[in-house]
Amino acid sequence: MTQPLLEVQDLHTVFSTKEGWVKAVDGVSFELHPGETLGIVGESGCGKSVTALSIMRLQRPGLIKSGHVMFKGDDLTKATEDEMRDVRGKEIAMIFQDPMTSLNPVFRTGWQVAEPLRLHHGWNAKKSLTSAINMLGRVGIPSATERAEDYPHQFSGGMRQRVMIAMGLTTTPEVLIADEPTTALDVTIQAQILDLLRHVNQEFGTATILITHNLGVVAGMCKRIIVMYAGRIVEAGPTADVFAHPKHPYTWALLRSIPRLDAERHEPLKPIEGLPPNLVDLPGGCAFHPRCAFKIEKCSRDVPALQRVGDTQLSACWVTQAGTELKGA
Amino acid sequence: MLAKYVARRFFASIVVVLGVTLITLVLMDRTRGTYVPGIDLNPALRPEDIARLRADLGLDRPFYIWYITWIWGVLHGDFGRSMIDGSTVMSHILDRLPNTLELTGTAILIGVLISIPVGVIGALRHGSKTDHTMTVVSVAGFAVPQFWMGLILILIFSVTLEQHGLPWLPSSGAYSAVNGGDFIDRVEHLILPATVLSFFYTSTWSRFIRSSMLEVLSQDYIRTARAKGMSERRVVYLHGLRNALIPLVTLIGLELPGLVSGGLVVEVVFGWPGIGKLAFERALQYDYTTVMGVTFFATMLVIAGNLLADLLYGVLDPRIRFA
Repeated sequence: MTQPLLEVQDLHTVFSTKEGWVKAVDGVSFELHPGETLGIVGESGCGKSVTALSIMRLQRPGLIKSGHVMFKGDDLTKATEDEMRDVRGKEIAMIFQDPMTSLNPVFRTGWQVAEPLRLHHGWNAKKSLTSAINMLGRVGIPSATERAEDYPHQFSGGMRQRVMIAMGLTTTPEVLIADEPTTALDVTIQAQILDLLRHVNQEFGTATILITHNLGVVAGMCKRIIVMYAGRIVEAGPTADVFAHPKHPYTWALLRSIPRLDAERHEPLKPIEGLPPNLVDLPGGCAFHPRCAFKIEKCSRDVPALQRVGDTQLSACWVTQAGTELKGA
Repeated sequence: MLAKYVARRFFASIVVVLGVTLITLVLMDRTRGTYVPGIDLNPALRPEDIARLRADLGLDRPFYIWYITWIWGVLHGDFGRSMIDGSTVMSHILDRLPNTLELTGTAILIGVLISIPVGVIGALRHGSKTDHTMTVVSVAGFAVPQFWMGLILILIFSVTLEQHGLPWLPSSGAYSAVNGGDFIDRVEHLILPATVLSFFYTSTWSRFIRSSMLEVLSQDYIRTARAKGMSERRVVYLHGLRNALIPLVTLIGLELPGLVSGGLVVEVVFGWPGIGKLAFERALQYDYTTVMGVTFFATMLVIAGNLLADLLYGVLDPRIRFA
């Protein structure tokens, strides 16, 4: 195994609210290897975006309480603000969910795409713009030279997400964090953007963290996935294995809830019963136990740690760690 | 496209000018009664003199005839002569306008220079003691009447300082009549009225920038800017402020009529020889021509200010298109 490019170790990020501290990220650890695409899956509010923002130290007003983010031998949680600025947009780039609002409306797109080059490489306006136009062309913006003069509102949603990707790639970063990059887009455009991300990963060798709540997206994109629930990783492993034999009841329930085209007509949908937990007041023990079909007495008492279950997977579940298979209708 | 837009706005503004001047005239004409401007300057006038004066001034005919005559003159660039002193209205306006521009221009400049940093700091540290303090000062800024604040400043910086033999600031006029009128002298006269006037502008605008900035700083593109690795200063003052200032342009555009009228109270309190004071005094004397002339200029400034603000809006915000 190669040396990991990025290593998140026992990360805890909290937010202060009127009702108390919210543990948005509660002891998350994972590795990202050069060139790989890692998927982070989970429902809204499970901490996947905050994990990504914490890596960039952009989690404000949240607070990284403990843990380490090792990137090329440096601990980013201990880096100064100046050192972080050299990492952001240069070595780790990030693209966001809503391309309609993620670009500054008052600056020309070419100028915005070129900005990281001026900031990080100190290039002049002309040189950086030429490079930006080249990158816009490579991510599939037609007549990039002319379009670089346009403002963001003159682009469609899919095109804007391409602009965001180009902006992230100008400095050829080693890591690209894509936070729900297709959620705000039409289904056909989603496929195009995913194709582009796959192409970027191959052509530039950029390691990618793909954050999504869409299991279909990770299935086609990522070799390895992490499933998060209530600020913790509940399952991790190779995508194929996790999909075929989920080792955590949450993953199992998520996969089961996807309606299938080949299912019998009139077969009722199988939702996960109950509601996501209140992060201020988490249930004791495993956070998923009130909704879990397999729970045993221990689940409401002790928090299970993430441990190897089976050959390739990790799971934080007392039931599967004890060797029980997840089966049921 | 733009020329067409400006032309259309110009023609639309003709209606506004006609409306405003007509209403001004009707209000003066209906409240004048049988008074004839200028009669109280000379107690020896006989009834036939007054009748002749009335006919000379055109006040013996219905107001609409007077209005049409006035409009005809304006179309030929003639604003007539003052009904009180006989000098041309244009000479009055040209005489007073520079003083008003000096005062309000300074106040607006100070207002912009102070309100932007104050508003930005308020937004960056919202909820802090600094923010609360600035909020209190701002609320005081538009709650305290300008005439009162003017009098208090005169009491402190002119009267009290002079009584204690300290250097003091002049309380009245735009320059000293004796041995005055140089740059330093004018600045000394400007300090107090400009302070009162700019305090009001600063208060309003800084609140405005604060809320505008708070909204902008929570936008997604600010997060993008940070993720690109730029300094917080660049995030706030380039990517943030550039967006937050767009609505301020409209606000300042609406304040441009204040170039003529907004400073009226301050001009009266500080005896500032400006347009506002002129209009105020002449309105009390039913000097039709002077009031109408000033009204015309003020209306044109309102229209020009709004148009300028709208055009600037289009320059600052690329999403705006003129049609």
